[in-house]
Amino acid sequence: MTPIISVTDLRKEFKVFRHHRGALGAFRNLVTREYKVVKAVDGIAFAIEPGELVGYLGPNGAGKSTTIKMLTGILVPTSGEICVSGRVPWRERRAHVARIGAVFGQRNTLWWDLPVVESLDLLRHIYRVPAERYTRNLATFRQLLALDEFLHTPVRSLSLGQLMRANLAAALLHDPDVLFLDEPTIGLDIVAKERIRQFIQRINRERGMTVILTTHDLSDVEKLCERVMMIDRGHLLFDGKLADLLRRFGGERELVVDFADEVLDAAVEGAQIVERDGPRVTYRFARDAISASELISRLSARYRLVDLSVREPEIEATVRRIYEERLLDNDGG
Amino acid sequence: MLATYAALARLAFQRYLAYRTANLAGLATNAFFGALRAYILIALFGAQTHVAGYSVQGAVTYTGLTQMLLAYLPLYGWWELMLTIQTGEIAADLSRPVDFFLYWLAQDVGRAACQFVMRGLPILALYALFYSLALPPTPWHAAAFVVSLVLALLVSFAWRFLVSLSAFWTPDARGVGRTAWTVAIVLSGFMMPVAFFPPWAEALMRLTPFPSLINTEVEIYLGIVGGPALLGALAGQLFWFLALAALSRLVLAAGVKKLVIQGG
Amino acid sequence: MILGHTMRLYFKLIGIRVRAQMQYRLSFWVDLAGTGLATGVEFLTLAAVFGRFGSIGGWSLGEVAFLYGLVETAFATMDMIFSGFDPDFFSQQVRRGTFDQMLLRPVSLPLQIFASEFLLRRIGRMAQGLAVWGFSLTLTHIAWTPAKLLYLPVVTVSTVAFFGGLFVAGAALCFYTVQSIEAVNIFTYGGTYMLSYPMHIYDEWFRRFFIYIVPSALLVYYPALFFLDKPDPLGLPSFAPFLAPLAGFGTLLAAFALWWVGVRRYTSTGT
Repeated sequence: MTPIISVTDLRKEFKVFRHHRGALGAFRNLVTREYKVVKAVDGIAFAIEPGELVGYLGPNGAGKSTTIKMLTGILVPTSGEICVSGRVPWRERRAHVARIGAVFGQRNTLWWDLPVVESLDLLRHIYRVPAERYTRNLATFRQLLALDEFLHTPVRSLSLGQLMRANLAAALLHDPDVLFLDEPTIGLDIVAKERIRQFIQRINRERGMTVILTTHDLSDVEKLCERVMMIDRGHLLFDGKLADLLRRFGGERELVVDFADEVLDAAVEGAQIVERDGPRVTYRFARDAISASELISRLSARYRLVDLSVREPEIEATVRRIYEERLLDNDGG
Repeated sequence: MLATYAALARLAFQRYLAYRTANLAGLATNAFFGALRAYILIALFGAQTHVAGYSVQGAVTYTGLTQMLLAYLPLYGWWELMLTIQTGEIAADLSRPVDFFLYWLAQDVGRAACQFVMRGLPILALYALFYSLALPPTPWHAAAFVVSLVLALLVSFAWRFLVSLSAFWTPDARGVGRTAWTVAIVLSGFMMPVAFFPPWAEALMRLTPFPSLINTEVEIYLGIVGGPALLGALAGQLFWFLALAALSRLVLAAGVKKLVIQGG
Repeated sequence: MILGHTMRLYFKLIGIRVRAQMQYRLSFWVDLAGTGLATGVEFLTLAAVFGRFGSIGGWSLGEVAFLYGLVETAFATMDMIFSGFDPDFFSQQVRRGTFDQMLLRPVSLPLQIFASEFLLRRIGRMAQGLAVWGFSLTLTHIAWTPAKLLYLPVVTVSTVAFFGGLFVAGAALCFYTVQSIEAVNIFTYGGTYMLSYPMHIYDEWFRRFFIYIVPSALLVYYPALFFLDKPDPLGLPSFAPFLAPLAGFGTLLAAFALWWVGVRRYTSTGT
């Protein structure tokens, strides 16, 4: 299969001008142009196959949104290549944007004064969607996103969750090849988040839509993305399976054991005790030092166990740790 | 008490000082319009040397003075008080242990002082660079001019305060404001000296408070009024300030009553 | 086909803007009357004091009214059609990221900006301009010829295009600075004020600038000389009154070229 998105050696540099303060400074700003070059994206490369659902992660200011802007054709790279469905986004911007869909955070793309349905109808004209396909798509999205409850409400009166649903439908009416989602669940309550996630999953699975998702909410990634890419300071630090990322950086796992009776000597080789609460003992153990089954068999050889559970490290904590301790920095990309 | 009002004025002064770029752009626009107005008046005079008490030099000086006062008096509009009424923030202001009228007046004095320095004086300096400006005929006129500048600000403030109170009664107060500012611009003698209008129009204009905003200062500066009439002109400004301020207080009381009864 | 689709889309989008403004009917009419009045008093003041002077640079009140009427009518029309390019409005669009969204739509950018706003209330100012223009026609007794009748709409449309060029150039500036946009007012509002009076009352360097650099004098003053059968005191070639379409649409095209340079800069820096 040929990739639907391929990116090679992509770079984007910004000149940040130094501003002098005061009246004299205003004059100096006019005369001298002192600046420093900031490398927002510094040589990244990846390929995405049709139908993939990829999570694009990174701390604030890492180069995430700069990459997305280049992929959607809003921003021209300093150097490097991007090819989306055989097109170079910024060179054929109009043809390119006709084949993609984008929902950027809380930014509304619909007409404030119009009812949702009229906004969608306008988009049909803008994207020149054939009437029959429009009707079919609208029917699908009305059902999947439960649009009917606010289809005739003016956009300005929608709740945040409704606004996101309406914008998702709007971004998909023209059957784009690729869908870009930037923080699609930001500010929503748990029920609304879940609805959006299920919808993204369905259009990815059932329509084979390629989706690129940036988010701060790692439960989005956990529930949706098999593959993640992680960027920091303009470099792509990790590109692979989410499970692999966790396996490498997830730190230690925990085993919680309920013994039949309170035991005096609960210590066991290969794990350390982090908590004791009557007959319940919590061990922490490194993934590569001992396997969970080995640990359990060592314990059950000595005592009778009533119940046990293995706790995986939380993705949220893991990713935060990767950012904070810059675990991927000396990884070579 | 006085210290409170002085502090309010100082804070307002500093707040307006922060709009540096806007001040610069505004200054450029003022200067350009000033040059055009001078061209137009010179051309209107043509071969005539004096019209209705104004010489050509006096007329050019008149455009300089009015452009200088434009931002000081904000003739193009003032929306701060109206906005606080519309947003309901006024409730907090009313509950302060200061007189509401003086609370706003103190801030307006700070604003006016800042704009006089940042926008007014540079315009006058530019004028002095390009034109030979007339000077007040006597030191008395110069002193009276300074007094009348202060009085003009007071009249202007009372008028703007009164107009802003319309927001208590109508959601379209912006339209009321825009009309009121337009009326003041014409009747104050900002567009053309009051003396240039036909006698009947001039007589009517002089019955309103608006010439106290601009025309009085100009006539004092150029020595068009002198002697006892000079004191009369200042007294006229003082009268209009007191009258408008008294009316403002009455209207404010009615507005507050409406606010209290209807909860805004 | 494509043009038809584009125009249909434009009118659809404009229709939305207009309907939104009419939702608050009272505000709309108050606003409309307000803007009409605010600009109308300027001419009324001139008319009121004109008796003391008799003429300005040799022009009668009716002749000045011709300039004023043409300028106001054309500027108000432009202000309505080019509302989306109004530098004050457009700089907000850029700052709020609305312009980014336009880049994500498969429709021509200028079309989207033209369609992004349409201030119907400018009709108030337009009516005021037309009233003054009508007043001037009753005073000046223009000797109408077929050529004059044909050329009048051409001059009006050219002047609309010229003022549009000023807005588009101002909008181009929004890609470079957000702070100095107010300075554009010198050219737009200052420009209309300047053009409402005969050009020969200004100094030579000033006139030259507004003939050769920003060709505004070719749009209002010179055509007015032709309509009013007045000699040219500045000694330009006799075809000068007929350069209006060239100057008007030339300015608009140059402004759009500048604007595209701005867009290219924006997409390479993303300010």
